[in-house]
Amino acid sequence: MSDRDLLAKGEDILSREALYMDMRRWDEWIDLFHKDAVFWAPAWRNDEELTDNVKREISLFYFESRAGIEDRVWRINTKQAPALFPLARTTHIITNSVFDEPPTAETMTLHSAWTCHTYSLRDRSQHTFFGRYEHDLKKFDGKWKITRKKVILMNDYIPAVIDVFCV
Amino acid sequence: MRFSDPSQYIMDDPDKGIFRVHRDVYTDQDLFEMELKNIFEGTWVYLCHASQVRNPFDFYCTKIGRRSVIVSRDENGELHGFFNTCRHRGAILCQTEMGNTKYHVCNYHGWAYDASGKNIDIKDKAEGCYTEAFDELNHDLIPLPRFDNYQGLIFASLNPDVPTLEEHLGEAKILLDLVAEQSPEGMEVVPGRSDYTYNANWKMQMDNGMDPYHLTSTHTTFMKVVQRRQQGESRNDQVESPDFRDRFKMDAGMYTFKNGHSMIWNDHPKPHTMPFWGMIEDVRKHVGDEKAKWMARSRNITIFPNLQFNDSTSLVLRTYIPHAPNLTEMKVYSFAPVNEPDDLRAIRVRQHEDFFNSSGMATPDDTICYADCHEGYLSYPGDYLQSFERGMATVINGPDEEAKRLGFKPATSLFGNFMDQGETSYHGPYREWARLMRAGHNKDQPLAAE
Repeated sequence: MSDRDLLAKGEDILSREALYMDMRRWDEWIDLFHKDAVFWAPAWRNDEELTDNVKREISLFYFESRAGIEDRVWRINTKQAPALFPLARTTHIITNSVFDEPPTAETMTLHSAWTCHTYSLRDRSQHTFFGRYEHDLKKFDGKWKITRKKVILMNDYIPAVIDVFCV
Repeated sequence: MRFSDPSQYIMDDPDKGIFRVHRDVYTDQDLFEMELKNIFEGTWVYLCHASQVRNPFDFYCTKIGRRSVIVSRDENGELHGFFNTCRHRGAILCQTEMGNTKYHVCNYHGWAYDASGKNIDIKDKAEGCYTEAFDELNHDLIPLPRFDNYQGLIFASLNPDVPTLEEHLGEAKILLDLVAEQSPEGMEVVPGRSDYTYNANWKMQMDNGMDPYHLTSTHTTFMKVVQRRQQGESRNDQVESPDFRDRFKMDAGMYTFKNGHSMIWNDHPKPHTMPFWGMIEDVRKHVGDEKAKWMARSRNITIFPNLQFNDSTSLVLRTYIPHAPNLTEMKVYSFAPVNEPDDLRAIRVRQHEDFFNSSGMATPDDTICYADCHEGYLSYPGDYLQSFERGMATVINGPDEEAKRLGFKPATSLFGNFMDQGETSYHGPYREWARLMRAGHNKDQPLAAE
């Protein structure tokens, strides 16, 4: 595959993440991730630096495996979490995908920009979270899976609720 | 305002078994303005921890109510607190939350101050044709009227007429000792911030931070996630958080203290899950068995009005800034021993993220409930709440046996079982609320100096 084809493949997976999250097709969303996939959103250490040592510093999300987002989806599905029912509607926009390092036929790291518009049914308020993604993708038995998703949240002053489907 | 005397918003009659708080205290704009003046600008408030200004020339910016302030460490290591405003034209000097700078130079006309607040340059002073009257003015940054720290926890009071910080904390100092002495090397704020807002009153957080009664209803899904992990239904094994159900048979209690402080506690069913437990032998040597026993208990501490610790699923430090009756800013940090071993620190940060972060699985459920309360108060404003009287039949004045063993003297004690889930912890803070609001209302009474 050419780099252009690989980029198209990577972008397809990112767009599917957005589709599945926004349409609440959670099982399909989770299936985009390898079971050992790391999901990481560092916190900000100060106005200029992100935390980078997950063992000693706070992250907004740090899951060593896909089980982290599975817990969160399970919680959404109970409809018993006050913050998640009624669940905010979301629309993700993911764009500006680019390779910073050359991909191979089996692995690639895609850098992109994202926004997530959230609409709270409780008070009809709207908010936009935004930032940048890094996705590590790897081919397993001919199928590409996300092995690492890093989320940089630029606006980390959070109006009460944020969860894995809002970033 | 519904009543001319703000203390009428609190019905406090322990002899009749009555303690009620009026719904308006969470919604009324006039009361909110009075709170800023009489509480946030009227008594000691928490600003930040010394580890956030660890080195010479470090500074940290925050707000006391609506008023921007700077905490700064000078070249000799001494801490200072100033209003964040230039003496010349009034612009704020610090625009960023924290940093390190030898000199604070105003962006606008270049007046410069050192880290102790001393004015060191008035730009082009010699050519300025200033009068003698100008030269007689003090050009230094305006210090916060009262500024002190206890165990590295930095407080200020904009009202100069207050007791010393140690007197203000009083018997509640022991609560902070139980947090601060968990490591012989001292404690620190763990890097990584979780700042968020919620659409309700600041006192909703104050109350929730000493409320054992909501855990099994608000946090049902967190409890179930923990159970799913224990039963292997979830593959998530990176964090071991306590199952609330294990608390149900444990001893528990709550205390109130003079000047508005409080603590609730319960015996921890699985103290080995606390990162602190990994250093328990060192801690026992350092503080003795009785203090170490208390450190291994689950404790929620409120230092009135705006500092809370929750030491259960790891140790969290919370502070809050009131913006409006229905808007509060939260700053939440993991709090940990300096030089904590990597394996224990990793447990601590994972537990914190799981529960306490605004991106965690518990805090957003709390904050959404605060907003639901706010809507509910507006729905039927003319009444008192029924959420302050659980446990009143067994609460006693003075210390119980548990307090006597450690040697502190709370104003009230309640001892029993976790399932009591008492509400008498609120009485201390709301008695102080009523006292400060009444004192502010009656100008002839001295403020915050009892």
